[in-house]
Amino acid sequence: MTIDEKLTILTDSAKYDVSCSSSGSVRTLDFGGVGSVANGGICHAYSADGRCISLLKILFTNYCIYDCAYCVNRIGNDIRRAAFTPEEVAGLTINFYRRNMIEGLFLSSGIISSEDHTMRLILKTLRLLRHTYRFNGYIHVKLIPGASEDLIIETLTLADRVSSNIELPSSQSLALLAPDKTREKVLQPLTMAKNYSLEHQKHPIGMSTQLIIGATPESDLEILRLSTSLYKKTMLKRVYYSAYIPINNVKNLPSLGTPPPLLREHRLYQADWLIRFYGFGYNEIVDEAAPNLDERFDPKLSWALRNLHLFPIEINTADRETLLRIPGLGVRGVDKILKARRFRPLNVYDLETMKISLKRLRYFVTVGGKLLIDRSMDYQQIQTELLSLPKPPPSAQPTLFEYFYPTVMGEL
Amino acid sequence: MILWCYDGTFEGFLSLVHESYIHKTIPDRITADEITPNLLDERQWIETDDAIARRVAASLNERFSKETLQRIKHTFLCDDSTPERDLLLYIRLGFKSPRALEDFAHPIVYAIHGYERRLLSTLHKMNAYLRFEELEDKTLYARIAPPRNVLPLMGGHFRTRLRGENFIIHDTARSIALLHREGESSFVRIESFETPTLSVEEGSFRRLWKTFFDSVAIRSRLNPTLQRSHVPLKYRTYMSEFWDNG
Repeated sequence: MTIDEKLTILTDSAKYDVSCSSSGSVRTLDFGGVGSVANGGICHAYSADGRCISLLKILFTNYCIYDCAYCVNRIGNDIRRAAFTPEEVAGLTINFYRRNMIEGLFLSSGIISSEDHTMRLILKTLRLLRHTYRFNGYIHVKLIPGASEDLIIETLTLADRVSSNIELPSSQSLALLAPDKTREKVLQPLTMAKNYSLEHQKHPIGMSTQLIIGATPESDLEILRLSTSLYKKTMLKRVYYSAYIPINNVKNLPSLGTPPPLLREHRLYQADWLIRFYGFGYNEIVDEAAPNLDERFDPKLSWALRNLHLFPIEINTADRETLLRIPGLGVRGVDKILKARRFRPLNVYDLETMKISLKRLRYFVTVGGKLLIDRSMDYQQIQTELLSLPKPPPSAQPTLFEYFYPTVMGEL
Repeated sequence: MILWCYDGTFEGFLSLVHESYIHKTIPDRITADEITPNLLDERQWIETDDAIARRVAASLNERFSKETLQRIKHTFLCDDSTPERDLLLYIRLGFKSPRALEDFAHPIVYAIHGYERRLLSTLHKMNAYLRFEELEDKTLYARIAPPRNVLPLMGGHFRTRLRGENFIIHDTARSIALLHREGESSFVRIESFETPTLSVEEGSFRRLWKTFFDSVAIRSRLNPTLQRSHVPLKYRTYMSEFWDNG
């Protein structure tokens, strides 16, 4: 099989993993050769589906001994199979990297013959890149659940980020659809990594996971509760959400041709953002009474509409945390206001000069004591008006890399 | 209308700042382009004087913070528009009171921040979308045609990244190039050039990259509008993955 055919097959089977970020890595290691890591992350291209291409995202192999119902590579599927050699992966990485096509490598794999064998193949590739080629760019690898501790620990010393995908948000769903996995088994390498990293590394290694959305019946409340605990307890840097695309005809899963729930995925990313950068708790965004996100409004706007008693907020006096909760203001808008009002009290024209849109803002603020709408606020009226606003073009994922000032955006 | 013309260099612009103070004049328009003035325009050519430029630079250095100096430089590189008059007003505002430059809601201050933001965004895109090709002698060669003059700011990023490599970044729109050989960098004007010979492996890596680029897209999520908003057509000229036949 030619390397071109391998690349086609092993890219195709890796592409449902959404993680592609190369940002927020603090480097203490230097392997001496070509390569650097940009703190804000760099997308070198965007594929036809509008997703960022930052890393050479491939599987080492799509041979797999597991039988996960949602996965294209499950053992029972009749698909073309291929496997790279460590030399081939290292060669592609270095050559794409030198041509400025990628920030580095994202290497995942199906389970070939055993967990340890698979982890060893990945590790061999990493050693080749770091020690032989002295490659200094970004490397993200999948930790193989069930692999031995010594293999996992050596991987940690060579990678910038490691991950292990939970995929299904509840233990029941995992038991039903992924008989070879349990949540404990999937989290075990991450817990191992966390403990080792905290003890031995100056900067704890970045870790992430992925949850599949819409394959199984979990509510957004269950999903966001799980993410919050992963951020707090397991100290993950990112939880990715992936709208389920039916690939196999299985009775417990949405049938082939069901469109992926892209809007729900988008709303979950927005909610995740609110939790990580805007000081929201998951239970402020969804609760038992309304366990799913409203698809009509972004989660901050829907929170504000449910909490009109907290508004209006005075732009000139509210603190940063309060400003961040106003619909229509993002981190950058808030920083503009804070900077400008140090100088003098702001009026509406100042907001216009600073290109802060009043479209949503006007319902929720006073500027110099003045309301910007001429009637007392009424939930129904505001909702109707907001729904009649022209819609921005749909996007599949928030555009993370528009803002490349890491200090403004925080860690992506 | 008072129209000032100069040679388009940064030294020329600094001479012009000096001129503005000496004659207590703020022109209505500043331009480096060849334009035909209309009858009512009072057109004046401002001569570039290196000694004066150095003096103005020294007083800017003394008066302004490092961030402000950078912002002036970044704004000046926005050659897709004519930021010179706004920049002159910004500098005069700063000389009157450095604190005024912190007034983010001041129209001129905000405008200058806007120029800088657009320039840095172009720089970020160019650092990302630039593609090197390997030449016969292993030198990495890239052509770019950015909408703003970002080449002067690109050296640092690639010097750190491509340690030990020789590379050339050629801005074909402005006919300038950054040469980096054996650890030394220089800028040169490119009067004419012949398409260099690529290494033998180049074609196969271009094809492999195209294979990867095509395979990584998910068909049920196709979204060319989103793709175009991230990679506008003007950046695609030298990106081989967007060429039809690799």
